[in-house]
Amino acid sequence: MIEITLAHYLALATILFCIGLIGVLRRKNLLLLFMATEIMLNSVNIGFAAIGHYYGDLSGQMFAFFVIAIAASEVAVGLGLLIVWYKRTGSIDLDSLSSMRG
Amino acid sequence: MEIYLYIALFAPLVGSLIAGIFGASKKLLFTGIVTSSLLALSFFSSIVLLVHLLGGGDEIHVEMMTWIAAGELYIPFGFLVDEISATMMMVVTLVSTLVHIYSIGYMKHDAGFNRFFSYLSAFVFSMMVLVMSDNFAGLFIGWEGVGLCSWLLIGFWYKKDIATWSANEAFIMNRIADLGMLIGIFLIYWNTGSLQYDTVFAAAPSLDETILVLIALFLFIGAMGKSAQFPLHTWLADAMEGPTPVSALIHAATMVTAGVYLVVRAHPIYELTPDVSYFIACVGAFVAIFAASMALVNRDIKRIIAYSTLSQLGYMFVAAGLGAYWVALFHLMAHAFFKALLFLGAGNVMHAMRDELDPYKMGGLFKVMKYTAILMIIASVALAGIFPLAGFFSKDKILEVAFGSENYILWGVLWVSAGLTAFYSFRLIMLTFFSDSRYKKLGFDPHEAYPYMLWAMAPLALLAIIAGWFEHQFVEFVTQALPMFTFNVADVVWMLIVVTTLIALGGIALAIWTYRDGPLDPKWERNPIHKLLINEYYIPAAYERCISRPYRELSAFFWKEVDLKVVDYTVDLIASMVYGSGKKTHTMQNGNLSSMLGWVAAGAVLLLLAVIFSSGIQVAG
Amino acid sequence: MFEYILSILIFFPALAAILGLALNKDSIKAYGIVVSAIEFLLALMLWYAYDAGVTGMQFVESVAIVEAFGVHYLVGVDGISLFIIILAAFFTLIGIASLPEMKNIKNLIITLLFMQMTMVGVFAALDVILFYIFWELSLVPMLYIIGAWGGPRRVYASVKFFLYTFAGSMFLLVGILYMGYAYHDATGIWSFSLLDWYESATLPFNVQLWLFGAFFLGFAVKVPMFPFHTWLPYAHGEAPTIGSVILAAILLKMGTYAFVRFSLPLFPDASYYFMVPIAIISIIMIVYTAMVAYAQKDVKQVVAYSSISHMGVIILGTFALNVEGISGAVFLMIAHGVVSGALFLLVGVIYERRHTKLMSEFGGLATVMPYYATIFGVFMLASVGMPLTINFVGEFLCLLGFYEQSHTLTLLAGLAIIVGAIYMLAAFKKLFFGEVTNEKNRNLPDVTKTELVALLPLVVITIWLGVYPKPVLGPIDNSVKPLVQMMHDRAITPEAQAAIASPLVPKEAR
Repeated sequence: MIEITLAHYLALATILFCIGLIGVLRRKNLLLLFMATEIMLNSVNIGFAAIGHYYGDLSGQMFAFFVIAIAASEVAVGLGLLIVWYKRTGSIDLDSLSSMRG
Repeated sequence: MEIYLYIALFAPLVGSLIAGIFGASKKLLFTGIVTSSLLALSFFSSIVLLVHLLGGGDEIHVEMMTWIAAGELYIPFGFLVDEISATMMMVVTLVSTLVHIYSIGYMKHDAGFNRFFSYLSAFVFSMMVLVMSDNFAGLFIGWEGVGLCSWLLIGFWYKKDIATWSANEAFIMNRIADLGMLIGIFLIYWNTGSLQYDTVFAAAPSLDETILVLIALFLFIGAMGKSAQFPLHTWLADAMEGPTPVSALIHAATMVTAGVYLVVRAHPIYELTPDVSYFIACVGAFVAIFAASMALVNRDIKRIIAYSTLSQLGYMFVAAGLGAYWVALFHLMAHAFFKALLFLGAGNVMHAMRDELDPYKMGGLFKVMKYTAILMIIASVALAGIFPLAGFFSKDKILEVAFGSENYILWGVLWVSAGLTAFYSFRLIMLTFFSDSRYKKLGFDPHEAYPYMLWAMAPLALLAIIAGWFEHQFVEFVTQALPMFTFNVADVVWMLIVVTTLIALGGIALAIWTYRDGPLDPKWERNPIHKLLINEYYIPAAYERCISRPYRELSAFFWKEVDLKVVDYTVDLIASMVYGSGKKTHTMQNGNLSSMLGWVAAGAVLLLLAVIFSSGIQVAG
Repeated sequence: MFEYILSILIFFPALAAILGLALNKDSIKAYGIVVSAIEFLLALMLWYAYDAGVTGMQFVESVAIVEAFGVHYLVGVDGISLFIIILAAFFTLIGIASLPEMKNIKNLIITLLFMQMTMVGVFAALDVILFYIFWELSLVPMLYIIGAWGGPRRVYASVKFFLYTFAGSMFLLVGILYMGYAYHDATGIWSFSLLDWYESATLPFNVQLWLFGAFFLGFAVKVPMFPFHTWLPYAHGEAPTIGSVILAAILLKMGTYAFVRFSLPLFPDASYYFMVPIAIISIIMIVYTAMVAYAQKDVKQVVAYSSISHMGVIILGTFALNVEGISGAVFLMIAHGVVSGALFLLVGVIYERRHTKLMSEFGGLATVMPYYATIFGVFMLASVGMPLTINFVGEFLCLLGFYEQSHTLTLLAGLAIIVGAIYMLAAFKKLFFGEVTNEKNRNLPDVTKTELVALLPLVVITIWLGVYPKPVLGPIDNSVKPLVQMMHDRAITPEAQAAIASPLVPKEAR
């Protein structure tokens, strides 16, 4: 039986972050992009919580809560924008969002 | 007395300015008269000063005002009238006054009449500054000033391409020598702390030997330019493109002797550097024979006289180089008179022949231009050095000096040159004035010059005859400022005089006999020696090929290849690299969110790595 | 009475420029002339009030701008800057007075007045940050002048001018900031006052070398020194006459002035260390650009390249590191300003008439325009360094000064008097001599009264200061002596101490 240490938590957080990052980079569907972002945010939350616990400091958990709150509002706004965009163009493919081409 | 000094100096300037005001107007006779009278005034003042000095008066030294003062350098406008400058002033103002009067007739029909007198008087002013300054910087002002006026006057007929080309050549060649002079001046300043003659000459004996040699050499380089010594001699012959009075005044009597004046003036330095002095004498002797040889075959009367001037300047340098400064000055004076006369005579001939210069096309002009012919013959006899004319006293003295100081080679060279001088002088006379009248076939209608032009020449003729008779007074006078040169040829002096006179007479006789029937058979012209001489030893061509043309080509190369294609291209390359990298990287901003997200991630990773590596954390391993 | 004269000199034209915006284009030229004339009179008053007997800065004003970092509005003049300020005022005046009718003349005059502020500011500033501000600011009006009134390739030329000098200035800024930090490290207080920097201990030798390099890059582009010179021919080639005049007469002097003001006293050892390389660059500038000038077909380019050649002599005199040389260099800045400014005005005269600057289009102008030819001749002779013209005094002193440091290099630099004569005489011959071959030149009018108004004062100055340079050379000399003394005192390496002789010790005693 292996003891679960901080390193394990951080490893989990890193793995999740990388999964999220790959999702962000590879996915073209905006909805999936949002989900990938959520994974990344949550991986960070795990990191926060784990280190907070490790140091016996509550600010880590507090930060995690903040992140959850921000993520929730972000998703709310983001999904709203997404729906508007879908209604207007009929697509939520990332490559179609190129009106800001330089 | 000071007032005479200022009058002598500034009268020509005033005349020049007055004439200059009307420079672009149509011909006004009074500009000629005003400048001439102001010069006469200047001449009069010079005579007063000369008489003052002759009467045992002190030398006059004035300091007008400060010119340049910076650091420890202090250069005033200071003027000095001593025996040397008084002699020069007398010669300069006398010849220029006469040339001015002569020019009123010579330039009568020229559109640039006023301009001409303005330039001519400006020249006299510069020349006066040159000879009267009491310091090397003032000398340099005059030095450049006469160069400038010479440029203006050679290129006086600026519509002629060859005239302006010659003017530029003269200016640039003189500039080359002026650089040497400038360096000499710098050397003097940094070693003696002053440029005043008296301070410098007082300090000279305590200077290091090498420094003295360098000073003497660099100053002589300056003198070589103005006095057209080899290898800077080509400009003088080309300078004959200017109006003839200019050739008489500038390129025979005054400006070209400035180099001799410089050596005479700086004699305390040259006395301390015998090697340099001997070098000067050798250059002089070489030029004497070298120039005389070119005069033998030339077919341009003014060029013949120009080469003769060159040759006589060589004589003067021999005298100066051998330490016989007063002899150099004496020959300078005598030469000024008879050579100016010769040129003015040539001017009359040119006028009569509508600017034709080839003596082969003349002949028999004696019948129509008796007075001019007589004057020119007087000048030629004086030049050839026949007793009792001026040249006999001054030129023979140089030969005696060379012999007496046991420089037999120099003497031999000069002796041969004396024969050549007599020959080419009378070749010119014969071809121009005697034998058959070839000009008639060519449709010329020559006439004698205006009487006042001849009268302006008369004093010069008189002086060409009698100047030599005052040798003793002259020696006594100038040796107050110059060292007496002693040499002992008493036992052979008669033999020397006879030998020299013989070769001169021989030259004359040969010339008369050879050219009794006009020009020689053209087959002579195929002779390689003739070819060499008529092409001036191919030196002008060599200069063109080895200096002028490479300079032009190198300039074009520098501009088109180096400046535009290397230096500027490098700058533009840097700029275009910046632009190019912008062009390449702007594809990153393609507006595609996923690729931009990719760049964000890549950037974050890079930054993270940078932080890790720069913070010095060792990766456990 | 003269307490605030420098501030007035700096800000009066700018203020007048803003007020001028309200005028219409018919009255703007008269307004511009009046304003610049007042400015010029003020500059003359500055000269009048300037006490040549006092060493050090005069009319000093100081107002804190950023107190915490010791940045001040600090201005003052000495003999070195005084005459360049007067020259700037003078050239703005005659530049505006000689302006021909052209489009957008209102904007041009307002730009010129604004430019005047920056020019006076650069030469009056004693706070380095203030100096830098004016230094950079002066680029803007010139960029506008070339870009808006220039020839066909004006955009290329103006951008090149701007970016090139700007890139050089970046190094300068870094150097300035480093100096500020170093001063702070040494004393504990922030100051960008040049006067404070003069008082502080000299930096260690290797630091000096780096800082000298940084300052050098900034200044060298401006001068412009070989090989950073290629922006200049383009700028001159495309700029309108007035732009070229101001550029040649004043803007280029900023670089050489800055060498005298900053590089020499702040880094005496580095200045000595780099003396020979810089002298070699100067000689390349003198000879190489003179040859390039000889190859030109466009008369304006001849004058442009001749500017570079003469700037080489100025640099050489500056790095003579003795009173004769530096005084000569400062005097030559004035002289070259007058002469090259005049030459550009003269080129403008024929350009105005024929709209070409190619020398092959001309020839024989001496016949049709005798007065023009005469005036051109005077400036040509001044440019080739004829004694009794203003240029000779400067050139003579520069070469004389450098002779103390190196004989051979001076001999090479002295080639200036030969190569200078070659291209100038050749250009003069092409323009003025010969027959009139081009029919278009047959009836060219001679110089007009307006043009004479601009040119005659320059002729007078050229000859007056050539014959009697003392009124200008005296104050310059008085200010250069303490400068050299300061270099001598501040030098830390024994070689530099030996080479930079104190002007207080007479030559015999050395």
